Amino acid sequence: MGAVWSRRTTALALVLLAAAARADEAPPRIVSLNPSITATLLALGAGSTLVGVDEYSARQQPEVEALPTVGGLFNTSLEAVVALAPDFVLLVPSAEQRDLRGRLEALGIEVVALPNIRLEDLLASIERLGRIAGCEAAARTRVAEIRRAWRRVEKARAGTPARRTVLVLQRDPLFVVGRGSFLDSMLEAAGAENPAAVFEEAYPRVSLEWLLATAPEVILDASEDPPEASRYWARWPSLPAVAAGRVAALPARQVTLPGPYLERGLQTLVRALDGMAAP
Amino acid sequence: MRVLTPRRLWASLAALAVLLLAAGAGALAAGPSALSLGEVWSTLTGGDASPAAADIVLRVRLPRALLAMAVGASLAVAGVLFQALLRNPLADPFVLGVSGGAALGGILALSLGAGLGLGYAAVPPAAFAGAVLATLLLYAVAGARGRLSATHLLLTGVVFNAFASAAIVFLASLAGLGEGAGIFLWLVGSLSAARADVVGWVGLFLVLGLACALPLARGLNLLTLGDETAAQLGLEVERHKKILLFSTSLMVGAAVSAAGLIGFVGLIIPHLLRLVLGPDHRLLVPAAGLGGAAFLVLCDTVARLFPGGRELPVGAITALVGGPLFLGLLRRQQARIFVP
Repeated sequence: MGAVWSRRTTALALVLLAAAARADEAPPRIVSLNPSITATLLALGAGSTLVGVDEYSARQQPEVEALPTVGGLFNTSLEAVVALAPDFVLLVPSAEQRDLRGRLEALGIEVVALPNIRLEDLLASIERLGRIAGCEAAARTRVAEIRRAWRRVEKARAGTPARRTVLVLQRDPLFVVGRGSFLDSMLEAAGAENPAAVFEEAYPRVSLEWLLATAPEVILDASEDPPEASRYWARWPSLPAVAAGRVAALPARQVTLPGPYLERGLQTLVRALDGMAAP
Repeated sequence: MRVLTPRRLWASLAALAVLLLAAGAGALAAGPSALSLGEVWSTLTGGDASPAAADIVLRVRLPRALLAMAVGASLAVAGVLFQALLRNPLADPFVLGVSGGAALGGILALSLGAGLGLGYAAVPPAAFAGAVLATLLLYAVAGARGRLSATHLLLTGVVFNAFASAAIVFLASLAGLGEGAGIFLWLVGSLSAARADVVGWVGLFLVLGLACALPLARGLNLLTLGDETAAQLGLEVERHKKILLFSTSLMVGAAVSAAGLIGFVGLIIPHLLRLVLGPDHRLLVPAAGLGGAAFLVLCDTVARLFPGGRELPVGAITALVGGPLFLGLLRRQQARIFVP
């Protein structure tokens, strides 16, 4: 009986090993719960690893429109995620999904949280996504491309005067770019001085009075409604930026989304600043 | 009970008016930016202040203080009126479903309006429309048999508010609202949207509400004795109630659509003033207007000053101040608190 058992065990072990080997070769099944993660996977050429996405991704990315959706930030369906039998669930750390994360892990699903505030975190996230989805080379190229763009901009803007620049994310209520985020890094690379860096948060809500008292020389408005920007800021002619005509609307999607093409956002921002420098 | 003489009436109102003026002056003088009192003074008197200082004082602080006054007065007066009409000390301006209607109108504008190209600017008018519709619904349901009973009004309001908050959660999760964050901020209540035209609208409905309430203040005193007693004493009960409920709901609707749901002003100011000034509505109604205005201006000044340059919703301050204050009052004055 012992001999039979051991033969059976050996056979089973062989089958399992073979299965494991196959699993290693097969691409992982990934559920992305954030549009910037979805965009990064698509940019790395790993779109085929996606088996499900959140609603925002489905709305923003035509490539994943046909995939099953599993809800949004506040209402992700645990059951819908589990039904897709993912190897990895990828999300951005947030208070809203803390509970979901714990429950997925309790079910034995691997959850990877990719922080998306700081530039270095974002670059690390791209590399990590490359490892997870099996496209490390593409990820390394992408990160190198972004770093190169940053260095280019830093060099090109080195001689320009450091103007006090506020990057507005939303006008009413007023949110701006504070300290530490990739957007703050963009301002820094472009040689601008960010007076909102006095706030420790990445994206603080500030008062209009603070903005008027700070008297920025440049306002970059990346809120959702670009055509309104110049009309809105014209109401405050006492702002040096308005008086000197140094107010520019930036396309929000392109600049403020922490996606895979950060260098494009940086270049858009720099173009807006260069446009102002000309008399 | 102390008798309300004309002298006591005017002395009390004058004292509250001085308090309001002081609060208003404080709101103009204080803010997150370091303007000196001299600079503030010269902007107000047309002296040679810097353009930035002039903008800060005249176009940021002033409209905001005025909006705080109009909203605070509306909420406190509405609190007094609802507490008397419903003969319930727990009635606040939002109890009759106005808050639910306004919030529902606002979130409908946010979730459906995006498709129509409407932005956040569509929220206040939609909220006002929601408040008006909620009031009409209240009349249709609670006034179905020709008379408005306090119990029916309260039940209708409470159930409608519960329904509205469920509908809000439903809509927010259906639309996956990124804008949902916006509506929740709005629900806490904030005065940061203050502009001259908004102040004008809220002020208009405040004047309308006061114009309906002040001539009927004697009638309100009778109403607190009960509908039947009031009718026996010669009061046209149903007509009084209808006029007051409708004008007050419009007033609250305007305040809510401009500033969101700022809690406690309409609850604590009426109780506080009733304890200090007595229950006569001829004094209580105008006093609540002045007192509510002063209270909200003070709270908003704290909200603006608190964390240097950041915005804090004033609704959080009124709740933090108002909650403990109310409980303290209740404990000290348990026997004397107004239970009509």
